[in-house]
Amino acid sequence: MSHHLFLLSPSDTPLYSLTHQSSKPVATITSPLASNLPTWSTSAFAGTLTALSGASSTTQHTSGGAVKVGGGQDRHVIQMIANASLDVIEDEMRKQNLMYFKSIDKFNEWTVSAFVTPSNMKFVLLHEGKNDDGIRLFFMEVWELYVKTAMNPFQTAHTAVRSSVFDTRVRNSARKYL
Amino acid sequence: MDTHSFASLAHVRILLLPVGLIPQSLFESYASEIRTYTSLKLAEIPADTRDGKAARFLPNPMSTGYLHLSFPTHPPAQSQGPLSLLRPSIFPLAVVGIAACSQGDNLRSLHHQFNSNLEDIFPAGSTFPLVRNCFAFEETEGTVNLDTGESLPGLTIVPCIAKRKLHLGTLLGVLCSQILVEFGTLTQALESPVGNEYLNASLMPLPPPLSELPSPLNRGDSIPNISSHNSQPEVTRSSFTLGAAPTLKRMSTAPSTAPSRSNTLNVTVPSKKRLSTYGTSSSHGRLYKMLGDFFLLSGRSEDALICRAETRYNEAALVFRSANDPLWYASTCEGMATCSIIEAWSAGHGLNNSTTAVKEPWHDVSDRLTQAINLYQRTAAPESEPTHALFVFLYCSCVLRQSSLLFAVWSAKGWGPLAFTTMLQPGPRPFLPPTLTAGDRTNYLLLERLSTLTGISRSSIASCLGQLHGPWLLHLGQRERIAVLEVTASIYACIGYQRKEAYILREVLGCLLDLMVCGREEDGYTQTPNIPQSAGLGIHNVHPVAGVNWGTVGVRLSESTAGNESILKLLAYICRVLGIDLEAIGLSEATEARVVEHPPSLNKYDEDIVDELREPLGWPELQVGVVREAVAVAEALPDFPTVAQFALSSLKTLQTVLTPNDQYHLYATASRALLTSRRRGDPRAIEYWSGRPIVSISVAPLPTIRIPIEKPRSIRHKVLDPAPILQGIVDPFLYNPRRASDKGTSLVVQNEMLEFVITLQNPYIFDLELQEVSLSTSGVPFDSQPMRVVIPASTLHQVVISGKATETGVLTIRGCFVQAPGGIPREYILPLYTTEEEERLARKRRVILSESCRFKYPPLERHPWTQADKHKSIPNAEAAIGSAFKFLECKVVPEQPLLRIRRSSVTHGALMLYDGEKSIIRITLENVSSIPVDFLHLASEDSTIGPSQKALQEGNLSVFETYETEFNLIHRPVLTWDKDESKSIAPNQNLTLTLGCFGKVGCTNGVIHISYAYSQDPRLGDSGSFYLRQVSYPLMVTVYQMLECSAMDLLPFPAYPQVRRSADTESVNPKDERLRHLDISDDGWCLFSIEVRNSYGTPFDITLFRTQNGKEEASSTTTIPPGLVIPIRKIVLSDEAVSKIIPTLSEKQFVVATSNLTKVEEKAQRELFWYREELFKCVSARWHETGGTRSGELSFRAQRLTLPMLETFRLEIAQVSLSLEREDNEEEEREISYTGAKQYLKPNEFVQLRAKVMNLCSFPVVFTLDLEATPSEHLIYEGIFSELAIGRLQSGESKEISTTLCFLACGRFELSAKARGFGSSETEGRVARTHISAIVTED
Repeated sequence: MSHHLFLLSPSDTPLYSLTHQSSKPVATITSPLASNLPTWSTSAFAGTLTALSGASSTTQHTSGGAVKVGGGQDRHVIQMIANASLDVIEDEMRKQNLMYFKSIDKFNEWTVSAFVTPSNMKFVLLHEGKNDDGIRLFFMEVWELYVKTAMNPFQTAHTAVRSSVFDTRVRNSARKYL
Repeated sequence: MDTHSFASLAHVRILLLPVGLIPQSLFESYASEIRTYTSLKLAEIPADTRDGKAARFLPNPMSTGYLHLSFPTHPPAQSQGPLSLLRPSIFPLAVVGIAACSQGDNLRSLHHQFNSNLEDIFPAGSTFPLVRNCFAFEETEGTVNLDTGESLPGLTIVPCIAKRKLHLGTLLGVLCSQILVEFGTLTQALESPVGNEYLNASLMPLPPPLSELPSPLNRGDSIPNISSHNSQPEVTRSSFTLGAAPTLKRMSTAPSTAPSRSNTLNVTVPSKKRLSTYGTSSSHGRLYKMLGDFFLLSGRSEDALICRAETRYNEAALVFRSANDPLWYASTCEGMATCSIIEAWSAGHGLNNSTTAVKEPWHDVSDRLTQAINLYQRTAAPESEPTHALFVFLYCSCVLRQSSLLFAVWSAKGWGPLAFTTMLQPGPRPFLPPTLTAGDRTNYLLLERLSTLTGISRSSIASCLGQLHGPWLLHLGQRERIAVLEVTASIYACIGYQRKEAYILREVLGCLLDLMVCGREEDGYTQTPNIPQSAGLGIHNVHPVAGVNWGTVGVRLSESTAGNESILKLLAYICRVLGIDLEAIGLSEATEARVVEHPPSLNKYDEDIVDELREPLGWPELQVGVVREAVAVAEALPDFPTVAQFALSSLKTLQTVLTPNDQYHLYATASRALLTSRRRGDPRAIEYWSGRPIVSISVAPLPTIRIPIEKPRSIRHKVLDPAPILQGIVDPFLYNPRRASDKGTSLVVQNEMLEFVITLQNPYIFDLELQEVSLSTSGVPFDSQPMRVVIPASTLHQVVISGKATETGVLTIRGCFVQAPGGIPREYILPLYTTEEEERLARKRRVILSESCRFKYPPLERHPWTQADKHKSIPNAEAAIGSAFKFLECKVVPEQPLLRIRRSSVTHGALMLYDGEKSIIRITLENVSSIPVDFLHLASEDSTIGPSQKALQEGNLSVFETYETEFNLIHRPVLTWDKDESKSIAPNQNLTLTLGCFGKVGCTNGVIHISYAYSQDPRLGDSGSFYLRQVSYPLMVTVYQMLECSAMDLLPFPAYPQVRRSADTESVNPKDERLRHLDISDDGWCLFSIEVRNSYGTPFDITLFRTQNGKEEASSTTTIPPGLVIPIRKIVLSDEAVSKIIPTLSEKQFVVATSNLTKVEEKAQRELFWYREELFKCVSARWHETGGTRSGELSFRAQRLTLPMLETFRLEIAQVSLSLEREDNEEEEREISYTGAKQYLKPNEFVQLRAKVMNLCSFPVVFTLDLEATPSEHLIYEGIFSELAIGRLQSGESKEISTTLCFLACGRFELSAKARGFGSSETEGRVARTHISAIVTED
């Protein structure tokens, strides 16, 4: 079961992203509709289509030729989904006075949870299973870590987080809660 | 295309089909005329009650319901055949052929065509369409010459009459009544046991074939053409084809997805096997559901209970709930949901007021649909492929149904007539309620208002719609998938979820392009050589296939470009949502015209600053991916200019995030595309793209001999002002307005080559090629050649553009035109960085920076293009500044003469001089132009000037030193020139100039500047200025200091008459010759002496000259080393002369006396100064190389005049003379006076001592006299000897006093007198002395 975390700046630019493979098993409920998928033409565009519709479990993709993303999930599609879910997050965060939006969106097999900080940073997590409390705690920890990083006077809302300490701690926290 | 309208289950579909040679526009107009009938009142449908049974679905004449019609123009996919009983509403229940009939048209042939078309579209034996008819529209009125007598069954002629629309309504009514009759027939068949078994045979049963129906159906009446169509010959299809044709083709090539006809037909065989499996032959659930469907279609929702569709559905639902038939159950649920909406519509339609229910009524409908969705999802899929597609289709349409329900209610501001209308709208295009307009989509407040009004949040619509998306979409046939995705995207768009919309649109694009590419492959023409295999997203498996066709000649088929534009528009939209402006670089008609904006646009100029400071926006990785896809799509279309546009736009906008590989790939793609497009003669070209390429433009400095300098005419007659020499170039003013204004302009000469250095930049990692770089100038015509430049990767690069200004005037360089290969030239202006300009830019930067970290708008509204709308009002204020730009300007002056130095007398440009030496050099100038020179002026500078000027500037020198320095600068220049020399040089003539040189120690080099001009140039007219040019001649100067003066001294020099006598006798001795000058008899002389040392290797002769007023000139020559002496006359300077302040030669205006000396000291200093000046006026020295020709001047200026020397040099205040006289003897007296200073006297005799004091001052002075005699003990005198009062003497007046004295012993007595002056400070302390010796002897 994999998780994808994105820390997005207020202008939708990812400042940090993490792919976490959780050891917890997930009960994947595959719709009978999704079984026995046909293989379509081999044209490049059909490939795009296949990937975007989420039917990529059969093929392993590499993006950019180098980075291999685990779980048979295409990185680009994951990012597209995270990006698309911002529509709902933006809509909801204006209406609800919350920071943690659990399972705010579902797309393909992914559930999207989000956390919006007071400085309008958005933490977006794509996950498959249901783990509301764990995710909440995880988000709180990531927030704390981010606030500590943001206290660096050279860190602006647009600078990518490259701190290895931050990275290690977020990974630890992910291992703990997800 | 299917629009997935909510109430599609209740729509009676009537397929419109063109027949014969009917133009598309005509077909469209007829179709739209027919489409105005979206619903028919049941009362308007003729009830043909011939047969009691058949009339089951026909309405009662009094019934109030409606029949909802929809008129698609596309037949359903054949793969959906198995749904014909489960979902009859997706099939056209009737077909209406539309034909245009004019004179001479054969109705029969039209009829044949219609039938054969039908045969093509619908497989033989399919249930639908139930009714077919062909409408032949008459084009003009009164052409009814068609043989109506021969009535063709299924062909109706629609006359061209005024009430044609009404007539059409009637025709449609008849058609509908036929359909309803057919419903009855079909139901009858299914109600039979055999029919029911067929119905329950499989999951998706087919209607029983005719042969197996128990009772013979008299179908011949209603469908008379069925039996006849087989014999009809195949008629060639007209050129006008509907979209169905390619679909069919596509299907035939992909047998795995689309079942062939035989497949559909043979379903009956396995169904028989299933019969036992299901064992539901007795169940009437499906039958009830079918009846419900038919009742729904026939608009019987309001009738008596028995006939109502809802009742039937409820019955069916009851059965299905217990039986395990989820598919049919789900379908029933959908039907029930539709029922309630229809009911609500007809209720609301009549009353036109919204019902106020406690609970929002749509909840029930929505729940029912949710149930249906769940059921569909749970349905176990059988193995075979086609059913998969059908399952997914049903599932998707169910999800869409629920979404469109929510959407309709939401968009129509709640449950009401508007919502129902939205849901029932059958048109070929999706119906948008007037509450939503295209511009409002991003308006958060408007969208939220709808949510608040209806209680349906946008996210709930989105989450409902989200269920649709999943891998199963791949099961769908291409056409269905596109339709489903399109509807999804449009709903997302309407609720303002643009990112989700973009996601779906990418899939739509994928589908479309897949179809296009595959379609091409089937044409036998592969695009592989043109499209790189890596095209697409780059996220799928890439199987690079070695291009088989490499090197072979590609055959270009004529490609249809229809639709390309829409695909590109879609792409651009997706990219915009993700924050990339694919149209950042415009595409327009190729033109070579150079557009110059007046005044220059400020926005365009600032564009780069704004871009540079723009905060990062969007998701870089996604942007890169999308951009790659966009380029690939454009390449696949292919639309080459757009490929270039997309590639270059993304290069420009995403430059910071693109990897080098991507940058290179995009650039290469763009260049290739541009080449191809040019080869193919595409009229479009791209605008210039690569950001501001110009960093700076400057005029390359002209060679110094060519620089013209503007001077006022008055300079020609002006006396040389020493100030510039003393002060150097330093401007005494902190702010000099004249200088400031000169900054921007430089002078250039007409018709002479002018060079501009342009600095270009390339921020990219590839070499940027510019097809053309040329200057954009205004004002005077400028003649230059554009150049082609390749800027190396990520560097600054300088190019030089040269040209000639062909007229005089002002040449303004606005900037540059640049043109990329295959692009349109664009002007980049480059104003000068004046203070205002810098201030403005800084302000702009501040504004942007202060905005950049504030998150006022959500990300999608922060895109530059959306921002532009919001800030429209602001730029207007700034726009005026655009005209205030200042540009680089050159003043073009008329052609000027040109001189060069042809030769000079100085070898190797090196000059060797002795200190103080004077020599001359000659320079020959040649006029190499065709213009005469009539003005010539020489100026020079040397290395001694700088340090002196600096010392003067610093101002730490004493007044005395200042004077010396300035004297050196002004009166002893190294190079001098006779100003009266000839000043004109005709074209191609020579002129030799003679310059004087003066050796000055410390001079190492010098430059002669020769300024010249053609000042009488008639082209200059009356302007007060003319233009100079300069040619310079540098000199290396070496000055040897060989003679060193030291120890200048002035000694008292009393008269020694005896010396003269000796000199008279021996005049041979050269030493005596020198001493001859010392032969001075009278008083008032002093002796000037100086030591001169020769530190050089060769001997020098030195002559000391004396030139004094009233005295003969004297000189003294010697060969160094010994010192030199010369007597000079003592002088006295008048008080006025002495009290003058020490002048400064520069005549500086602001000299403030800074000395803090006392008055007395100051006076002494002035005296010293003026007496020294006087001394140097009368004494000078020259040297001469012994045995050589070189001579020069020896300067004493380094020597100091000390106070004792001054005292010696100056005349006393008074002349005192002493004389002794014997009182008695007159003769003796004479003798005594004759001997002069020495007097011979006798002891013990009284002598008169006369002391005469003459006032030499210019003013009256009171004198006292002191007399002294030694040894005083041997003489006696009368009265007192000291402080004898002489009294006040006028100037020049003299007084004599005499004392009697007597010498008591023989011997030598010295008598001296001292006269002191009193009464004024000048005379204080100054004593005039004299003395005589008296020798007292006995005889």
